[in-house]
Amino acid sequence: MAATPQLSVADQIRQLEGARKLVLKDVSYYPQVIQATLPIIGPSSQVEFRRWGSEFLAEAFATPAVPLSSKETLSLVVLDTLKSLVEDPKQDVLVLRSVIQAAASIYPLAMRWIINNSYDSTTWEKMTAIKTRIRDIWDTAPLTVRICCVKFVQRVVLAHTSSVNPEPRRGDPLDISRNMVPLNHPALDGDQLEAEASGLLDRMLSVLEDDARDVHNPLAGRMQQYVERLVRSRADIFDETGRKRAMIDQASAVEAKRQRTATLSSQPQIEITPLKHGENSLADVFTFTSNEGLRKFSVSETIPAPLAAKISVRTIAQLDTEILQRAIDGVRARLAAFHEAHQQPINPETAPLDVEEDDDDYEPDYYAAEDTEQLMNKLDSSPSDERRDLQAPVLGALALPAFKLPPPPTLDPEQAARVGQGAIARVFGTMQTLEEPTTKKSKAGLNRLAASSYDRDSWITVIARLATRANAGLDEITVKEEDSTLALPTVSMSDSIREMLYAYVLEDFRKRIDVAVTWLSEEWYKERVQQRFASSPGQSHDVPANYEKWTLRLIDAFLPYLHSQDRVLTRFLSELPELTVSILARVNTLCRDPSLVNLALTSLYYLVMFRPPVRNIALDTIQDIWTEYEDARPTAAKYLQRWRPGFVDAAQQATQGTGSTPVGTNGAVVAT
Amino acid sequence: MDVANGTTAASAPVTNGDREDSGGYKLKFCTVCASNQNRSMEAHLRLSQANYPVISFGTGSLVRLPGPTIHQPNVYPFNKVSYDTMYKELDGKDHRLYTANGLLNMLGRNRQVKWGPERWQDWQIGVPRTEQGKDRGHTGTEGGVVDVVFTCEERCWDAVIDDLLNRGSPLNRPVHVINVDIKDNHEEASIGGRGILDLADSLNAAAKEERDSIGAAAFDMASAASRMSFDERVPEIIGEWQERWPNLPATWTLAWF
Repeated sequence: MAATPQLSVADQIRQLEGARKLVLKDVSYYPQVIQATLPIIGPSSQVEFRRWGSEFLAEAFATPAVPLSSKETLSLVVLDTLKSLVEDPKQDVLVLRSVIQAAASIYPLAMRWIINNSYDSTTWEKMTAIKTRIRDIWDTAPLTVRICCVKFVQRVVLAHTSSVNPEPRRGDPLDISRNMVPLNHPALDGDQLEAEASGLLDRMLSVLEDDARDVHNPLAGRMQQYVERLVRSRADIFDETGRKRAMIDQASAVEAKRQRTATLSSQPQIEITPLKHGENSLADVFTFTSNEGLRKFSVSETIPAPLAAKISVRTIAQLDTEILQRAIDGVRARLAAFHEAHQQPINPETAPLDVEEDDDDYEPDYYAAEDTEQLMNKLDSSPSDERRDLQAPVLGALALPAFKLPPPPTLDPEQAARVGQGAIARVFGTMQTLEEPTTKKSKAGLNRLAASSYDRDSWITVIARLATRANAGLDEITVKEEDSTLALPTVSMSDSIREMLYAYVLEDFRKRIDVAVTWLSEEWYKERVQQRFASSPGQSHDVPANYEKWTLRLIDAFLPYLHSQDRVLTRFLSELPELTVSILARVNTLCRDPSLVNLALTSLYYLVMFRPPVRNIALDTIQDIWTEYEDARPTAAKYLQRWRPGFVDAAQQATQGTGSTPVGTNGAVVAT
Repeated sequence: MDVANGTTAASAPVTNGDREDSGGYKLKFCTVCASNQNRSMEAHLRLSQANYPVISFGTGSLVRLPGPTIHQPNVYPFNKVSYDTMYKELDGKDHRLYTANGLLNMLGRNRQVKWGPERWQDWQIGVPRTEQGKDRGHTGTEGGVVDVVFTCEERCWDAVIDDLLNRGSPLNRPVHVINVDIKDNHEEASIGGRGILDLADSLNAAAKEERDSIGAAAFDMASAASRMSFDERVPEIIGEWQERWPNLPATWTLAWF
C-alpha cells in the first residue's frame, strides 16, 4: 500500500479503500494486506490513517468470512499495534472505539492461543495489557467508547467462565470458555480467571444499581427488578458453575417452600401411621395418606405409564429431602414390622439369590431363584394384562410370587460332546491366531505352568492337558460297567481333542513336531501317574494306552511324506519319552523305499548311540532291517558290526542254512 | 432538511430522484419490513437516492403479496425469486388487477432498486457483500455491516432484536436499531420513506460532526464527558425528529451484531 508522501491524505485513504475492497472480494488476502497496512496505521500516524486502520482491523476480526484459525494467526500480528493504539492517552475516540471492538473479537482467540501454546506468555501479556487499559478507561471514556468497553468485558466474562450451555452440537466456534483451561496450565489459573470475571460482572451491574437507586428516575422501580434478577442469575452462575441451569427455578421454588414449612414447624408435615393388622397390599405399605379417595386411586389404570413416570420424576426432584427421608424411614419401619410379623422359613423358590438357609453351602445350581434381570426379561415378553398383575401384587407375604424358568432342554451326551467340541475348536482358533514366538525360550518341561504366558506354547499345553488330564480316571469307569444305562458318547471329549491335536500337528508336521512331542509327553506322563495310582493297593483300574496308540498314528501319518534329508524323524524318535518295539517297527517299514534306508538306519543308530535304554530294541530293529531288506544290508551290517559283532556272520550263515529270521526281544524300554 | 414536516408534500429532490452527492462521511443504513417489498423498499430507494449506503430485508417467513381475494395471496420464498420475475408473473396473471392495486408499480420500482427480496434472518452479517454491486445504495455496504437499522413495524423491530440476541453478537459491532411505525400501504410507505430519510440525514449530520469536531484533536479524559459522541446523541436526535414527525412513532435501542 503506497503511502507515498506526495499523495494527499484523501488519496491515500482511497488507495487503502481499494485494498480493502480487494480483501472483501477475496478474504485470503487479509494477511498480506494487514501486514502491509500495519506500519501505515501505527500509533504515530495521522488520525485519518489510525481511524481507517483500526476500523479495518475491527472489520477483519469481526467478519465471519475469515476462518477463526486465520484470525488466531492474524491476531498475533496485530496485538502490538492494538496495544500501542489503546495505550495512547491522547488517542482519538473513534480509533479507541474500533480498537476495543477488534480487541473484543481477539480476546477469546488469544485465550485459546495461550491455552494451546502456554510457552507464548508474551502474547498473552500483550492481551492482558490491552485488557487492563480497557478496564482503566471504562469509567472515564466517552460513552461511545464505554459501550465498546462493556462489550469487551462481556467477551472477557464469557471466556473466563464455564459455558452456560456447552452444546457440542451447536458447535459454536466462539465458545471459548474456562472449561478449556487445563488444571495445571502454567499461564492461566481457572479460578483466578473466574474470580476476575466475577469482579468485572459486578462492575457492569453496579452501573445499573446506581441508576436504579436514583429516586428521581421514573424507571427506578422497574430497573431495580431487573437488577435484582441479574444479580440473582449472576450469583447462580458463580455458585453452581457446571451444574444444570434449568433447575434454578425449581431450586428457588423449593427454597421458598422450605421457608414456609419451616415457619410452621421444624418437622416436615407427614403422618406415618403403623400398618393395620392382617392382609396388606404392597401399595398399603407405601401409602401414607388417610384420604380414602386417594387410596383407591389406581395410577396404573388411569394414567399412561410414560406420563406417570414424568410426574414421578418431577415430584421427586422437587421433594423436600427431609420429607422424603422421613417417608423412606416410615416405609422401612413398616417393612421391618411386617417382616417380624411374618417370620417364616425362607422359601427357596422365591428367596432372592443371595439368601440361603445355610450360608456355608454354596450350591448355585441346586435351585433357581430369579434375579431382577430375569424378571425384567420375563416382564418384557409377557402380555400387558399379565404385567398389570405383576405391578400390583396383593400378597400374603411380601415376597414376589415364585417364578420358574422352564427347565432347560435336557442335553444328551452327544449334544454335550458336540458343544464341547465347539469349545475346543475355539481354543484351537485362539491358539492358531497367536504368532510363533520369534525367540525360542528354554522349555520348562512338565513343570511349566499351563497358562502363564498366553503364548502359543502355553495354549498347546492347556489343550494337551485338557485332552489328557481333564477326565483322567473318568473315561475308563464307564468302560467297566457292562450294562450301563448311560448312553456313551460316540466320541469322548478327550479323544476329540486328540483328533484335533493330531490334525493340527499333521497340517505341518515338520514345524509342529515339538507340539507332538509336548502332547505325547503329557500323554505318557499321565499314564505313568495313573499306572502308579492303579498299582497301589485297593485300586484296579485299567489304564488306557493312549500314548502308544497316538504315537503310532502320528508316525504312520507322517512317514509316507518323509524324504531322505528329513531330520524330523531322528528328532522325533529321540525326543519321545518312551519308545516301544512297535514304534520302532514302523521305522522298519521305511526301508521299503531304498532312498529312505539311510534315514531309517541313521535314526536308529542315533538311538543306539545316545539313548542307551533303548539301545537293545533299536539294535533289534536294525537286525530286522538287515534281515528283511537286502538293499539295507551294507549300512546295517556296518552298524551291527560294532554293536552286535557276530550277528551278521551268524545270520548270513543262518540264511544260507535255515532262512529263519532272528527276532528281537519284545517289551517297552523306558528312556528316562 | 429537505423535509421539515411529515405532513408537507415531499420536496423536489426526493420525488425527482437522486440527490447530489455531498460526499464526506456516510452512515450505513439498513431498512426492514415484513416482506421487503413496500415500506423497506420505499425507504431503501429514498436513502439510496440520497447516496447513502443502504441494504434492506424482510423479517417474515415468506414474501406475501395481495392476490385477487384476501384468501389467495401471492406467496414467494425469500432470496429465491426476483422482483422482475414477480412482476412478470403478476402482469401475466391479471394486468388490470395488479396495476389497479399498485403491485406492478411497486414491483416495477423494486426491480430498479435490487434483484429480489432478502430475509433478515438469512442475512450473514459481516460477510462481504461484493456480489450485489448493481443494487442501489450498494456503495459502502461491501463490508456487510451497517450502523443503523430502520424497521417499519414494531413486529419487525422485535424480530430483529430477537434475532440479534440469538446470534450472540459474535461480531462485537454496535448497531442502532430504530423502529419507525409505518402502515403497510403505498401512501404511508411514501410518507414513512421521507421520514426515514429525514432521520437518516439528522443522524448522519451528527456522525459527521463527531468525526469532524473531534478530528485529530486528542481526547482529554477529564473533559470528554462534556463532548457528546454520536452514539450518545442518537436518542436526542430521534426525540427531535419525533417532534417533526409525530405520526411516525419511533422506538430505539442499541444492539450488537
